[in-house]
Amino acid sequence: MIPAPFDYSAPATLEEALKLAGDGSSKILAGGMSLIPLMKLRLASPESVIDLGRIPGLNQITESGGAIRIGAMATHHAVEGSPLIRGKLPLLAETAGQIGDIQVRNMGTLGGSIAHADPAADYPAALVALEARIHLRSTGGERAVEASEFFLDAFTTAMEPGEIVTGVEIAAEAPSEGYKYEKVPHPASGFPVVGVAVRLSRSGGKITLARVGVTGMSSHAFRARNAEQVLVSGGNIAAAAGVVGEGIDANSDLYASADYRLHLARVHAARALTAALSRAS
Amino acid sequence: MKIAGTNVVFVPQERAYEMLQDPGILASCMPGCESLEKIAENEYAMKMKMVVAAVSGQFAGTVRIADPEPPGKFRLIVEGSGKIGFVKGSGVLTLTPNESGTEVAYDGEVNIGGTIASVGQRLIDTTARMLIKRFFAKLNGETARVAAD
Repeated sequence: MIPAPFDYSAPATLEEALKLAGDGSSKILAGGMSLIPLMKLRLASPESVIDLGRIPGLNQITESGGAIRIGAMATHHAVEGSPLIRGKLPLLAETAGQIGDIQVRNMGTLGGSIAHADPAADYPAALVALEARIHLRSTGGERAVEASEFFLDAFTTAMEPGEIVTGVEIAAEAPSEGYKYEKVPHPASGFPVVGVAVRLSRSGGKITLARVGVTGMSSHAFRARNAEQVLVSGGNIAAAAGVVGEGIDANSDLYASADYRLHLARVHAARALTAALSRAS
Repeated sequence: MKIAGTNVVFVPQERAYEMLQDPGILASCMPGCESLEKIAENEYAMKMKMVVAAVSGQFAGTVRIADPEPPGKFRLIVEGSGKIGFVKGSGVLTLTPNESGTEVAYDGEVNIGGTIASVGQRLIDTTARMLIKRFFAKLNGETARVAAD
Protein backbone atom coordinates (compact mmCIF):
# COMPACT_ATOMS: atom_id res chain seq x y z
CA MET A 1 0.00 0.00 0.00
CA ILE A 2 2.97 2.33 -0.51
CA PRO A 3 3.28 3.82 -3.97
CA ALA A 4 6.43 3.68 -6.05
CA PRO A 5 8.48 6.89 -5.80
CA PHE A 6 7.26 9.76 -7.97
CA ASP A 7 7.87 13.47 -8.49
CA TYR A 8 5.14 15.68 -7.11
CA SER A 9 4.30 19.20 -8.10
CA ALA A 10 1.45 21.41 -6.99
CA PRO A 11 1.41 24.42 -9.31
CA ALA A 12 -0.34 27.58 -8.17
CA THR A 13 -1.67 28.54 -11.58
CA LEU A 14 -3.30 26.71 -14.47
CA GLU A 15 -0.68 28.07 -16.87
CA GLU A 16 2.07 26.49 -14.81
CA ALA A 17 0.17 23.19 -14.64
CA LEU A 18 -0.32 23.21 -18.42
CA LYS A 19 3.38 23.79 -18.95
CA LEU A 20 4.26 20.91 -16.63
CA ALA A 21 1.69 18.65 -18.30
CA GLY A 22 2.86 19.68 -21.75
CA ASP A 23 4.48 16.45 -22.88
CA GLY A 24 1.65 14.26 -21.56
CA SER A 25 3.95 11.99 -19.52
CA SER A 26 2.72 13.09 -16.08
CA LYS A 27 -0.49 12.05 -14.40
CA ILE A 28 -2.86 14.79 -13.36
CA LEU A 29 -4.12 14.50 -9.79
CA ALA A 30 -7.56 15.95 -9.08
CA GLY A 31 -9.47 14.36 -6.20
CA GLY A 32 -7.34 11.21 -6.33
CA MET A 33 -10.28 8.82 -5.93
CA SER A 34 -9.05 6.60 -8.76
CA LEU A 35 -5.40 7.51 -9.21
CA ILE A 36 -4.29 7.25 -5.58
CA PRO A 37 -5.66 3.72 -4.94
CA LEU A 38 -4.11 2.56 -8.22
CA MET A 39 -0.77 4.04 -7.18
CA LYS A 40 -0.96 2.48 -3.73
CA LEU A 41 -1.55 -0.91 -5.33
CA ARG A 42 1.28 -0.08 -7.76
CA LEU A 43 -1.03 -0.72 -10.64
CA ALA A 44 -0.10 2.81 -11.63
CA SER A 45 3.47 4.01 -11.22
CA PRO A 46 3.62 7.44 -12.82
CA GLU A 47 7.01 9.13 -12.71
CA SER A 48 5.45 12.46 -11.94
CA VAL A 49 2.14 13.70 -10.61
CA ILE A 50 0.73 17.21 -11.07
CA ASP A 51 -1.74 18.14 -8.35
CA LEU A 52 -4.40 20.64 -9.44
CA GLY A 53 -5.62 21.09 -5.86
CA ARG A 54 -3.85 24.39 -5.23
CA ILE A 55 -5.01 26.23 -8.30
CA PRO A 56 -7.53 28.83 -7.17
CA GLY A 57 -10.82 29.12 -9.02
CA LEU A 58 -10.81 25.74 -10.73
CA ASN A 59 -13.74 24.63 -8.56
CA GLN A 60 -16.04 27.56 -9.27
CA ILE A 61 -19.64 27.11 -10.27
CA THR A 62 -21.00 30.10 -12.19
CA GLU A 63 -23.82 31.07 -14.51
CA SER A 64 -23.77 33.30 -17.53
CA GLY A 65 -26.23 33.66 -20.38
CA GLY A 66 -28.36 30.63 -19.52
CA ALA A 67 -25.39 28.29 -19.25
CA ILE A 68 -23.85 26.91 -16.10
CA ARG A 69 -20.09 26.58 -15.99
CA ILE A 70 -18.69 24.10 -13.47
CA GLY A 71 -14.97 24.05 -12.76
CA ALA A 72 -13.16 20.75 -13.08
CA MET A 73 -12.13 20.68 -9.41
CA ALA A 74 -15.69 21.03 -8.08
CA THR A 75 -16.27 18.01 -5.86
CA HIS A 76 -19.27 15.76 -6.30
CA HIS A 77 -20.52 17.05 -2.97
CA ALA A 78 -20.23 20.67 -4.14
CA VAL A 79 -22.17 19.82 -7.31
CA GLU A 80 -24.80 17.95 -5.31
CA GLY A 81 -25.24 20.83 -2.89
CA SER A 82 -24.84 23.89 -5.11
CA PRO A 83 -28.11 25.90 -5.09
CA LEU A 84 -27.37 26.99 -8.65
CA ILE A 85 -27.02 23.40 -9.91
CA ARG A 86 -29.95 22.13 -7.84
CA GLY A 87 -32.08 24.87 -9.36
CA LYS A 88 -30.92 24.83 -12.97
CA LEU A 89 -29.33 21.41 -13.55
CA PRO A 90 -31.25 19.17 -11.16
CA LEU A 91 -30.35 16.05 -13.15
CA LEU A 92 -26.66 16.70 -12.55
CA ALA A 93 -27.19 17.38 -8.84
CA GLU A 94 -29.23 14.19 -8.51
CA THR A 95 -26.51 12.19 -10.27
CA ALA A 96 -23.71 13.68 -8.15
CA GLY A 97 -25.58 12.73 -4.98
CA GLN A 98 -25.51 9.06 -5.97
CA ILE A 99 -21.79 8.74 -6.65
CA GLY A 100 -19.87 6.32 -4.43
CA ASP A 101 -20.11 7.23 -0.75
CA ILE A 102 -19.83 10.47 1.20
CA GLN A 103 -16.03 10.22 1.48
CA VAL A 104 -15.69 9.84 -2.28
CA ARG A 105 -18.14 12.68 -2.91
CA ASN A 106 -16.17 14.97 -0.61
CA MET A 107 -12.88 14.34 -2.41
CA GLY A 108 -13.73 13.22 -5.95
CA THR A 109 -14.13 15.86 -8.63
CA LEU A 110 -16.18 16.34 -11.78
CA GLY A 111 -13.08 16.90 -13.91
CA GLY A 112 -11.30 13.86 -12.48
CA SER A 113 -14.25 11.62 -13.23
CA ILE A 114 -14.50 13.00 -16.77
CA ALA A 115 -10.80 12.63 -17.58
CA HIS A 116 -10.55 9.15 -16.06
CA ALA A 117 -13.57 7.99 -18.12
CA ASP A 118 -14.34 4.87 -16.15
CA PRO A 119 -16.93 2.98 -18.22
CA ALA A 120 -19.12 2.80 -15.11
CA ALA A 121 -18.70 6.35 -13.81
CA ASP A 122 -22.01 8.01 -12.88
CA TYR A 123 -21.45 11.50 -14.27
CA PRO A 124 -21.09 10.63 -17.96
CA ALA A 125 -24.71 9.39 -18.18
CA ALA A 126 -25.95 12.81 -17.05
CA LEU A 127 -23.36 14.70 -19.09
CA VAL A 128 -24.38 13.06 -22.37
CA ALA A 129 -28.08 13.52 -21.52
CA LEU A 130 -27.41 17.20 -20.77
CA GLU A 131 -25.28 17.64 -23.91
CA ALA A 132 -22.55 19.13 -21.75
CA ARG A 133 -19.58 20.75 -23.41
CA ILE A 134 -16.31 19.64 -21.87
CA HIS A 135 -13.68 22.35 -21.84
CA LEU A 136 -10.07 21.35 -22.41
CA ARG A 137 -6.95 23.47 -22.18
CA SER A 138 -3.39 22.89 -23.25
CA THR A 139 -0.45 25.21 -23.81
CA GLY A 140 -1.73 25.34 -27.40
CA GLY A 141 -5.12 26.81 -26.46
CA GLU A 142 -8.63 25.93 -25.42
CA ARG A 143 -11.35 23.84 -27.02
CA ALA A 144 -14.66 22.28 -26.05
CA VAL A 145 -15.96 18.83 -26.94
CA GLU A 146 -19.57 17.69 -26.66
CA ALA A 147 -19.92 14.90 -24.07
CA SER A 148 -21.24 12.27 -26.48
CA GLU A 149 -18.17 12.83 -28.65
CA PHE A 150 -15.81 12.94 -25.69
CA PHE A 151 -16.20 9.45 -24.21
CA LEU A 152 -14.79 7.17 -26.88
CA ASP A 153 -14.05 3.87 -25.18
CA ALA A 154 -13.18 2.47 -21.76
CA PHE A 155 -10.81 5.01 -20.17
CA THR A 156 -10.41 6.59 -23.57
CA THR A 157 -11.49 10.13 -24.31
CA ALA A 158 -11.05 12.75 -27.00
CA MET A 159 -8.32 14.39 -24.87
CA GLU A 160 -4.90 14.86 -26.45
CA PRO A 161 -1.67 14.43 -24.45
CA GLY A 162 -0.97 17.61 -22.52
CA GLU A 163 -4.63 18.63 -22.27
CA ILE A 164 -6.36 19.22 -18.95
CA VAL A 165 -10.11 19.25 -18.33
CA THR A 166 -10.85 22.72 -16.98
CA GLY A 167 -14.60 22.43 -16.60
CA VAL A 168 -17.93 21.79 -18.26
CA GLU A 169 -20.54 24.11 -19.63
CA ILE A 170 -24.16 23.05 -19.67
CA ALA A 171 -27.28 24.89 -20.81
CA ALA A 172 -29.79 25.16 -17.95
CA GLU A 173 -32.58 22.61 -17.97
CA ALA A 174 -36.00 24.10 -18.65
CA PRO A 175 -37.97 24.41 -15.39
CA SER A 176 -40.81 22.38 -16.92
CA GLU A 177 -38.50 19.52 -17.78
CA GLY A 178 -38.69 16.19 -15.96
CA TYR A 179 -35.47 14.41 -15.06
CA LYS A 180 -34.29 11.28 -13.29
CA TYR A 181 -31.07 9.38 -12.65
CA GLU A 182 -31.65 5.72 -11.92
CA LYS A 183 -28.79 3.41 -11.08
CA VAL A 184 -28.16 -0.12 -9.91
CA PRO A 185 -25.21 0.31 -7.57
CA HIS A 186 -22.69 -2.49 -7.33
CA PRO A 187 -22.97 -3.60 -3.70
CA ALA A 188 -19.22 -3.44 -3.05
CA SER A 189 -18.03 -0.43 -5.02
CA GLY A 190 -21.13 1.71 -5.44
CA PHE A 191 -20.30 2.04 -9.13
CA PRO A 192 -23.38 1.69 -11.31
CA VAL A 193 -23.77 -1.77 -12.80
CA VAL A 194 -25.92 0.32 -15.09
CA GLY A 195 -27.06 3.91 -14.69
CA VAL A 196 -29.63 5.77 -16.77
CA ALA A 197 -30.03 9.57 -16.82
CA VAL A 198 -33.16 10.93 -18.44
CA ARG A 199 -34.61 14.32 -19.38
CA LEU A 200 -38.09 14.73 -20.78
CA SER A 201 -40.26 17.66 -21.81
CA ARG A 202 -43.88 17.37 -22.68
CA SER A 203 -46.42 19.59 -24.27
CA GLY A 204 -50.05 18.54 -24.31
CA GLY A 205 -50.00 14.77 -24.46
CA LYS A 206 -46.78 14.60 -26.46
CA ILE A 207 -43.14 14.25 -25.50
CA THR A 208 -41.28 17.08 -27.18
CA LEU A 209 -37.77 16.45 -25.90
CA ALA A 210 -36.14 13.24 -24.75
CA ARG A 211 -32.56 12.64 -23.70
CA VAL A 212 -31.42 9.26 -22.44
CA GLY A 213 -27.84 8.75 -21.24
CA VAL A 214 -26.62 5.30 -20.26
CA THR A 215 -23.51 4.41 -18.29
CA GLY A 216 -22.03 1.16 -17.01
CA MET A 217 -23.60 -0.92 -19.73
CA SER A 218 -20.85 -0.78 -22.31
CA SER A 219 -17.31 0.47 -22.79
CA HIS A 220 -18.38 4.10 -22.46
CA ALA A 221 -21.43 6.20 -21.67
CA PHE A 222 -23.70 6.78 -24.64
CA ARG A 223 -26.92 8.47 -25.63
CA ALA A 224 -29.68 6.01 -26.47
CA ARG A 225 -30.76 8.06 -29.49
CA ASN A 226 -33.00 5.28 -30.79
CA ALA A 227 -35.01 5.35 -27.56
CA GLU A 228 -35.20 9.17 -27.70
CA GLN A 229 -36.50 8.88 -31.25
CA VAL A 230 -39.22 6.44 -30.20
CA LEU A 231 -40.42 8.86 -27.51
CA VAL A 232 -40.56 12.01 -29.63
CA SER A 233 -42.34 10.18 -32.43
CA GLY A 234 -45.13 9.19 -30.08
CA GLY A 235 -43.97 5.79 -28.82
CA ASN A 236 -44.65 4.87 -25.22
CA ILE A 237 -42.09 4.36 -22.45
CA ALA A 238 -42.09 0.57 -22.71
CA ALA A 239 -41.34 0.77 -26.43
CA ALA A 240 -38.56 3.29 -25.88
CA ALA A 241 -36.96 1.38 -22.99
CA GLY A 242 -37.13 -1.77 -25.09
CA VAL A 243 -34.65 -0.42 -27.64
CA VAL A 244 -32.09 0.96 -25.18
CA GLY A 245 -28.72 -0.65 -25.85
CA GLU A 246 -29.76 -2.17 -29.14
CA GLY A 247 -26.71 -3.06 -31.19
CA ILE A 248 -24.30 -2.23 -28.38
CA ASP A 249 -21.85 -4.74 -26.89
CA ALA A 250 -22.68 -4.96 -23.20
CA ASN A 251 -19.99 -5.46 -20.55
CA SER A 252 -19.88 -8.58 -18.49
CA ASP A 253 -18.10 -9.40 -15.25
CA LEU A 254 -18.52 -11.81 -12.34
CA TYR A 255 -21.41 -9.76 -11.00
CA ALA A 256 -23.49 -9.20 -14.12
CA SER A 257 -23.42 -10.90 -17.50
CA ALA A 258 -23.89 -8.94 -20.71
CA ASP A 259 -27.49 -10.12 -21.12
CA TYR A 260 -28.34 -9.23 -17.54
CA ARG A 261 -26.78 -5.77 -17.95
CA LEU A 262 -28.83 -5.12 -21.05
CA HIS A 263 -31.94 -6.26 -19.19
CA LEU A 264 -31.11 -3.96 -16.25
CA ALA A 265 -30.51 -1.03 -18.58
CA ARG A 266 -33.95 -1.43 -20.10
CA VAL A 267 -35.79 -1.96 -16.82
CA HIS A 268 -34.11 1.07 -15.29
CA ALA A 269 -34.57 3.17 -18.40
CA ALA A 270 -38.29 2.48 -18.10
CA ARG A 271 -38.25 3.47 -14.41
CA ALA A 272 -36.24 6.61 -15.07
CA LEU A 273 -38.52 7.63 -17.94
CA THR A 274 -41.64 7.05 -15.86
CA ALA A 275 -40.23 9.12 -13.00
CA ALA A 276 -39.06 11.89 -15.32
CA LEU A 277 -42.42 12.06 -17.04
CA SER A 278 -44.22 12.42 -13.73
CA ARG A 279 -41.89 15.32 -12.86
CA ALA A 280 -42.40 17.10 -16.18
CA SER A 281 -45.03 19.81 -16.25
CA MET B 1 -13.11 -15.54 -18.80
CA LYS B 2 -14.36 -16.44 -22.24
CA ILE B 3 -13.71 -14.10 -25.10
CA ALA B 4 -15.28 -14.47 -28.47
CA GLY B 5 -16.06 -12.20 -31.34
CA THR B 6 -15.48 -11.42 -34.96
CA ASN B 7 -13.68 -8.74 -36.87
CA VAL B 8 -13.20 -8.10 -40.55
CA VAL B 9 -9.80 -7.67 -42.16
CA PHE B 10 -9.88 -6.13 -45.61
CA VAL B 11 -7.54 -8.57 -47.37
CA PRO B 12 -8.04 -12.02 -48.92
CA GLN B 13 -7.97 -15.03 -46.63
CA GLU B 14 -4.42 -16.25 -47.51
CA ARG B 15 -3.00 -12.78 -46.89
CA ALA B 16 -4.91 -12.41 -43.64
CA TYR B 17 -3.57 -15.74 -42.45
CA GLU B 18 0.00 -14.69 -43.28
CA MET B 19 -0.42 -11.33 -41.57
CA LEU B 20 -1.77 -12.84 -38.38
CA GLN B 21 1.39 -14.92 -38.12
CA ASP B 22 3.89 -12.29 -39.19
CA PRO B 23 5.81 -11.23 -36.09
CA GLY B 24 6.63 -7.82 -37.56
CA ILE B 25 3.00 -7.03 -38.25
CA LEU B 26 1.77 -8.50 -34.98
CA ALA B 27 4.31 -6.49 -33.01
CA SER B 28 3.22 -3.26 -34.63
CA CYS B 29 -0.48 -3.98 -34.14
CA MET B 30 -0.63 -5.40 -30.63
CA PRO B 31 -1.39 -2.58 -28.20
CA GLY B 32 1.69 -1.93 -26.09
CA CYS B 33 3.89 -4.56 -27.75
CA GLU B 34 7.53 -3.57 -27.32
CA SER B 35 9.21 -6.57 -28.88
CA LEU B 36 8.31 -9.91 -30.41
CA GLU B 37 11.19 -12.27 -31.18
CA LYS B 38 11.15 -15.69 -32.70
CA ILE B 39 12.52 -18.27 -30.26
CA ALA B 40 11.42 -21.46 -32.04
CA GLU B 41 9.23 -22.51 -34.92
CA ASN B 42 5.82 -20.94 -34.27
CA GLU B 43 6.94 -19.60 -30.91
CA TYR B 44 7.80 -16.03 -29.98
CA ALA B 45 9.00 -14.20 -26.92
CA MET B 46 7.04 -11.03 -26.28
CA LYS B 47 7.52 -7.94 -24.16
CA MET B 48 4.67 -5.53 -23.77
CA LYS B 49 3.71 -2.50 -21.79
CA MET B 50 0.04 -2.29 -21.02
CA VAL B 51 -1.28 1.20 -20.49
CA VAL B 52 -4.98 1.53 -19.75
CA ALA B 53 -6.12 4.66 -17.98
CA ALA B 54 -3.71 5.24 -15.09
CA VAL B 55 -2.83 1.55 -14.93
CA SER B 56 0.41 0.57 -16.54
CA GLY B 57 2.53 -2.51 -16.28
CA GLN B 58 5.15 -4.43 -18.14
CA PHE B 59 4.52 -8.00 -19.17
CA ALA B 60 6.94 -10.58 -20.53
CA GLY B 61 5.79 -13.85 -22.00
CA THR B 62 5.42 -16.09 -24.98
CA VAL B 63 3.08 -16.34 -27.94
CA ARG B 64 2.71 -19.74 -29.56
CA ILE B 65 0.89 -20.82 -32.67
CA ALA B 66 -0.49 -24.36 -32.55
CA ASP B 67 -2.57 -26.61 -34.77
CA PRO B 68 -2.03 -24.49 -37.89
CA GLU B 69 -4.47 -25.29 -40.68
CA PRO B 70 -3.65 -22.66 -43.31
CA PRO B 71 -5.33 -20.67 -44.54
CA GLY B 72 -8.41 -21.08 -42.40
CA LYS B 73 -7.58 -21.74 -38.79
CA PHE B 74 -4.96 -21.74 -36.04
CA ARG B 75 -4.70 -21.71 -32.30
CA LEU B 76 -2.97 -18.90 -30.44
CA ILE B 77 -1.58 -19.54 -26.99
CA VAL B 78 -0.41 -16.58 -24.94
CA GLU B 79 1.27 -16.57 -21.56
CA GLY B 80 2.69 -13.59 -19.79
CA SER B 81 3.40 -12.17 -16.40
CA GLY B 82 4.49 -8.95 -14.82
CA LYS B 83 4.44 -7.09 -11.53
CA ILE B 84 0.76 -6.26 -11.75
CA GLY B 85 -0.48 -9.73 -12.62
CA PHE B 86 -0.40 -12.58 -15.06
CA VAL B 87 -2.34 -13.64 -18.10
CA LYS B 88 -2.80 -17.04 -19.72
CA GLY B 89 -4.95 -17.54 -22.72
CA SER B 90 -5.67 -19.85 -25.55
CA GLY B 91 -8.02 -19.35 -28.43
CA VAL B 92 -8.84 -20.51 -31.93
CA LEU B 93 -8.87 -18.03 -34.78
CA THR B 94 -10.99 -18.97 -37.75
CA LEU B 95 -10.63 -17.09 -41.02
CA THR B 96 -13.49 -17.11 -43.47
CA PRO B 97 -13.48 -15.24 -46.77
CA ASN B 98 -16.35 -12.80 -47.20
CA GLU B 99 -17.28 -10.02 -49.62
CA SER B 100 -15.14 -7.32 -47.97
CA GLY B 101 -12.10 -9.52 -47.27
CA THR B 102 -11.80 -11.99 -44.45
CA GLU B 103 -13.83 -12.47 -41.35
CA VAL B 104 -11.67 -13.39 -38.39
CA ALA B 105 -13.57 -15.12 -35.62
CA TYR B 106 -11.87 -15.69 -32.28
CA ASP B 107 -13.06 -17.92 -29.54
CA GLY B 108 -11.00 -18.58 -26.48
CA GLU B 109 -10.51 -18.59 -22.77
CA VAL B 110 -8.32 -16.10 -20.95
CA ASN B 111 -7.31 -16.28 -17.33
CA ILE B 112 -6.04 -13.19 -15.62
CA GLY B 113 -4.65 -13.23 -12.12
CA GLY B 114 -2.67 -11.22 -9.60
CA THR B 115 -3.36 -7.70 -8.34
CA ILE B 116 -4.90 -6.57 -11.60
CA ALA B 117 -7.53 -9.30 -11.43
CA SER B 118 -8.28 -8.97 -7.74
CA VAL B 119 -9.05 -5.28 -7.92
CA GLY B 120 -9.92 -4.85 -11.59
CA GLN B 121 -12.46 -7.65 -12.09
CA ARG B 122 -15.16 -5.15 -12.98
CA LEU B 123 -13.11 -3.88 -15.91
CA ILE B 124 -11.22 -6.81 -17.36
CA ASP B 125 -13.82 -7.82 -19.91
CA THR B 126 -14.34 -4.29 -21.20
CA THR B 127 -10.61 -3.66 -21.38
CA ALA B 128 -9.89 -6.95 -23.16
CA ARG B 129 -12.50 -6.16 -25.78
CA MET B 130 -11.11 -2.66 -26.22
CA LEU B 131 -7.58 -4.01 -26.77
CA ILE B 132 -8.82 -6.56 -29.33
CA LYS B 133 -10.72 -3.82 -31.15
CA ARG B 134 -7.55 -1.68 -31.22
CA PHE B 135 -5.54 -4.61 -32.56
CA PHE B 136 -7.87 -5.13 -35.50
CA ALA B 137 -8.14 -1.42 -36.19
CA LYS B 138 -4.34 -1.24 -36.39
CA LEU B 139 -4.19 -4.39 -38.48
CA ASN B 140 -6.57 -2.81 -40.94
CA GLY B 141 -4.48 0.35 -40.90
CA GLU B 142 -1.46 -1.80 -41.69
CA THR B 143 -3.25 -3.51 -44.61
CA ALA B 144 -4.21 -0.11 -46.02
CA ARG B 145 -0.58 1.01 -45.73
CA VAL B 146 0.71 -2.16 -47.43
CA ALA B 147 -1.86 -1.81 -50.18
CA ALA B 148 -0.80 1.80 -50.75
CA ASP B 149 2.92 0.91 -51.08
